[in-house]
Amino acid sequence: MQPLTEFHQRQTRRLFFKNTGLAAGRIALATVLGPGLLRAAANVRQQRAHPSLPGLPHFAPKAKRLIYLFMNGAPSQLDLWDYKPRLSGLYNTDLPDSIRMGQRLTTMTSGQKRFPVAPTIYKFAPHGQCGTLVSELLPHTAQIVDELAVIKTVHTEAINHDPAATFLLTGNQVPGRPSIGAWISYGLGSEAENLPAFVVMTPRWSAKRPAQALYQRLWGAGFLPSKHQGVALRSQGDPVLFLNNPPGVDAATRHTMLDGLAKLNQAAFERSGDPEIQTRIAQYEMAFRMQTSVPELTDICGEPKSVLDLYGPEASVPGTFAASALMARRLVERGVRVVQILHREWDQHENLPRDLSLQCRDIDQACKGLILDLKQRGMLEDTLVVWGGEFGRTVYCQGELTQTNYGRDHHPRCYTMWLAGAGVRGGTAYGETDDFSYNIVRDPVHIRDINATILHLLGVDHKRLIYTFQGLDQRLTGVEEANPVKGILV
Amino acid sequence: MTPPSDTLLLFGRFHPLLVHLPIGLIVVLAFLELLACWPRLKQANASAGAILALAVPASIITAVCGWLLSLAGGYEAGLLQWHKWTGIAVAVMCAVIGLVYWLDLKKLYRVALSATFGVLVWASHYGGSLTHGKDYLTRYAPESLQTLLGGASTPAPGRNRGGTLADKQAFADVIRPMLGNTCISCHGPEKAKAGLHLDTHPALIKGSENGPVIVAGKAADSPLIKRIVLPADHEDHMPPAGKPQPAADDIALLRWWINAGAPDDKKISELKVPPDIQKILDKRFAGAMAGAGKAESVVQPLPLAAVLPLAEKLTDDLNIAVSALSPSEPWLQCNASIAGTNFADADLAALAPLAANLRWLDLAGTGVTDAALAQVGAMRHLTRLHLQRTAITDTGVAHLAGLAELESLNLYGTAVTDAALGTLGRLAKLRQLYLWQSKVTPEAAKAFAEARVDKEQIAKWEAEIEQLQAQIKDQHIAVEAGAPASAAADPGPIPINTVCPVSGKLADRTRTTVHEGKIVAFCCDNCKAKFTKDPKPHLAKLAQLANPPPGNLGLAKAINTKCPVSGKDVDPTRTRLHDGKLVAFCCDDCKAKFDQDPKPFLAKLGLDSPDSAPPKEQKQ
Repeated sequence: MQPLTEFHQRQTRRLFFKNTGLAAGRIALATVLGPGLLRAAANVRQQRAHPSLPGLPHFAPKAKRLIYLFMNGAPSQLDLWDYKPRLSGLYNTDLPDSIRMGQRLTTMTSGQKRFPVAPTIYKFAPHGQCGTLVSELLPHTAQIVDELAVIKTVHTEAINHDPAATFLLTGNQVPGRPSIGAWISYGLGSEAENLPAFVVMTPRWSAKRPAQALYQRLWGAGFLPSKHQGVALRSQGDPVLFLNNPPGVDAATRHTMLDGLAKLNQAAFERSGDPEIQTRIAQYEMAFRMQTSVPELTDICGEPKSVLDLYGPEASVPGTFAASALMARRLVERGVRVVQILHREWDQHENLPRDLSLQCRDIDQACKGLILDLKQRGMLEDTLVVWGGEFGRTVYCQGELTQTNYGRDHHPRCYTMWLAGAGVRGGTAYGETDDFSYNIVRDPVHIRDINATILHLLGVDHKRLIYTFQGLDQRLTGVEEANPVKGILV
Repeated sequence: MTPPSDTLLLFGRFHPLLVHLPIGLIVVLAFLELLACWPRLKQANASAGAILALAVPASIITAVCGWLLSLAGGYEAGLLQWHKWTGIAVAVMCAVIGLVYWLDLKKLYRVALSATFGVLVWASHYGGSLTHGKDYLTRYAPESLQTLLGGASTPAPGRNRGGTLADKQAFADVIRPMLGNTCISCHGPEKAKAGLHLDTHPALIKGSENGPVIVAGKAADSPLIKRIVLPADHEDHMPPAGKPQPAADDIALLRWWINAGAPDDKKISELKVPPDIQKILDKRFAGAMAGAGKAESVVQPLPLAAVLPLAEKLTDDLNIAVSALSPSEPWLQCNASIAGTNFADADLAALAPLAANLRWLDLAGTGVTDAALAQVGAMRHLTRLHLQRTAITDTGVAHLAGLAELESLNLYGTAVTDAALGTLGRLAKLRQLYLWQSKVTPEAAKAFAEARVDKEQIAKWEAEIEQLQAQIKDQHIAVEAGAPASAAADPGPIPINTVCPVSGKLADRTRTTVHEGKIVAFCCDNCKAKFTKDPKPHLAKLAQLANPPPGNLGLAKAINTKCPVSGKDVDPTRTRLHDGKLVAFCCDDCKAKFDQDPKPFLAKLGLDSPDSAPPKEQKQ
């Protein structure tokens, strides 16, 4: 369909009355308040690359920035965070029905004749002053556990990757909603004038290939203006394509050309009124500024060896998780509001011990490096770091169970995420699951609550960050109850 | 005035119930008349007669009831007079419109109706002010609107006055504001039910028409306390059901004050303050104490609306970000680090008008120098200050000595030395200090941190922890760590690297070779071939990439270096688990032989325990 026709079709009766009514009200208000006031406010806001909404943040924020480490595929909470010592005696016994309680399973294991318990083969030990138990698969992360609030009772409703990841990152299983980064960009904007407000990286991974697909809607803008969607840096070659001027075109010429283009676009906007044209103008302008800001951003020559060493040996290998984590720090240091790293293939249906250890090696030291680097720069006190996947994994084995090898299916009823940094009480272990890490015993945290917590720390009341679309007051946390997790907040 | 008889009061109390009937009816009459002005709806006022038949008697009865209620007293005399006479006027005027309508004087009817309507609004407002208090309507309106309406709300006396907690007046600062929240709407200057005023100290001591409400020194005997602590559904309970009730903390404070003799002008420091009361007081005044001790000398922040225009102007002019921390407080945050070294001392001077409002200031990596820090020193409400990666030195830091509210100071990557710590020691609220890559010596930093530790408090906490740990022991929930012994891991061919040492691309873990007993992975067979042919050029890269796998996987070494079957050197990728121990072989044939019957080879391995359980099934 033609975008223009589509736009005109969207001008419904309801919208017409709303806009006319608002316009009439605005004229009345402007007459009362005097002409200078309103126009002044409107002008000032226009000039910023990423303005915030008026009235936001709703309250004084703890965090100014968000780094979201998304482990796509669902890391096994049983082998990393949720220690269940009593399982060791139950090797290869059947999962009691009293625990499963008829829960629906994926088609990958619903046909299995039995559901034998697979205890983890990894050793857990208490770490840090807080004594939180961490698996030996994460020896580096274990060293910073005093900075983390580990939530063991996150739960979701979706049971397959696509809806579950969409649910976690956009607040709804149905595709088409704005991602959490887009919401934050829409509400809070960004102070960085030369970089996008929301940047995404998709580093490579070590476990089996092919992996679950990622899709752009996980960082999309949904019904929000499209300038709020995440800008994905490429993991190979140039991080942003076509940044360099074509041969024979210098920066001044290019700017003249872009200015001319902006004028044409502005004229088109005045004709049709499609707000997406404004986005387009802003994006050209942003791209021009990124021609200088991105090369400076990605040049890590200035990073001392001691810093690179924090992130591990892969920090200087482009496209790795470690390099992305380092880049995340450089991005937030330059004022970017949200950085999201999506690391793929944590989906260990089989050969879990081998593949999980490879995945952990990808991220473990880099997670520690990121936290310590932020900390030594004083940035951890106003940067929020979130780590987690879209659901958990089952205690019962998928496929053949041996003493050294097993697989785990999808498990939405409980899994582990951690938060660290601004406003988060480090060294917290929150929530409790049953002896099988199958059901929640205490302090459940729905993924909506996680999203509400993230917004809360950024100074946003999730109930008041609203965008009206399809006749609904849409928000990231949806219409069901959601509350910030007070137990992990300072 | 003699109090009216009970019967009269009975009728009087119907006033608030009846009063809304004539109001509604008169509004309806006015509305119908308005509609009838429009030719197409000429008939709209046809039912006016019927409505009037109800409105006239209703207004008269309401007025009479109101007059009876007023005899009971207890309302502020001035307001009451206004309400009484405007109310009576409404009743009289209502009767007049009734008459005019009956006489069918159309024009006069409309004039009289508008006049009645006007008086009605006036009378109703007085009525509302009598029951709810004068500023009820505008209390939560924006300040500008309040000023416009002339009803600027005056904050409850005593709250947020400067001075330390000990300097606070027990009555004026603690008790009076509390009574203001729950009692004074009925027992105050505008309305004094039962003749009781609770808004001033003398009036409070004087008590009600039934006698004193406070027995100084004896909270339990004071009627005030007695009635507050009665069950909520008791008819003598105060405040009456449905009205805002005092919090438990409020009652505790009230008791404390009465027991202390209900003094008027004593400071908190002059009274005995038990720990539980101290806790409540601390909590209550935590916000107001922010500028404790220096309240007089510190410039108070301007209202947000007054500083935002300048904040926005500076944001644009200087390419920095100055914005409100939240809409409900006057605080601003400023991020100048995004302007980099373009932001210099002169630009900082432009922030001076906002000095009293700035809460967070980020000057990281800007061009500011020591000279300009005097400006920062004047920003007395700063809680977060970022000065990292700037050219400042100890001289500049000396200007910060007056930042009494500063909680976090970032000085990493600057040339500050141990001398700066002397200045910073005076900042009582400082909790975070970042000195990475500065010239401060680790010893000095450590000493600085230790000097600021509240050792007494820590000792207390440690005692508490010990107690809790003892409890945990009692309950036998001590955590045991460790996986089942039988579940030792199969090492498998897990390489030491994830990135190919030849090409730098991501390695494929199935394309491996063994180099010096370690498994090395490559991206492709070409690289593998290159490496096997001549590993030397790649060894430096490999050493850099070698990334010990987490856990015991891959790291676990076989117990043997010679094959137990053939006696040759082993290949570390050909292993099997025997009785929890990892055994390596030279080739698959030997491994198969061992699998069939391990017993003959155990001696070579030093494992002479033929009785132990047979090796369990292995699966990759």
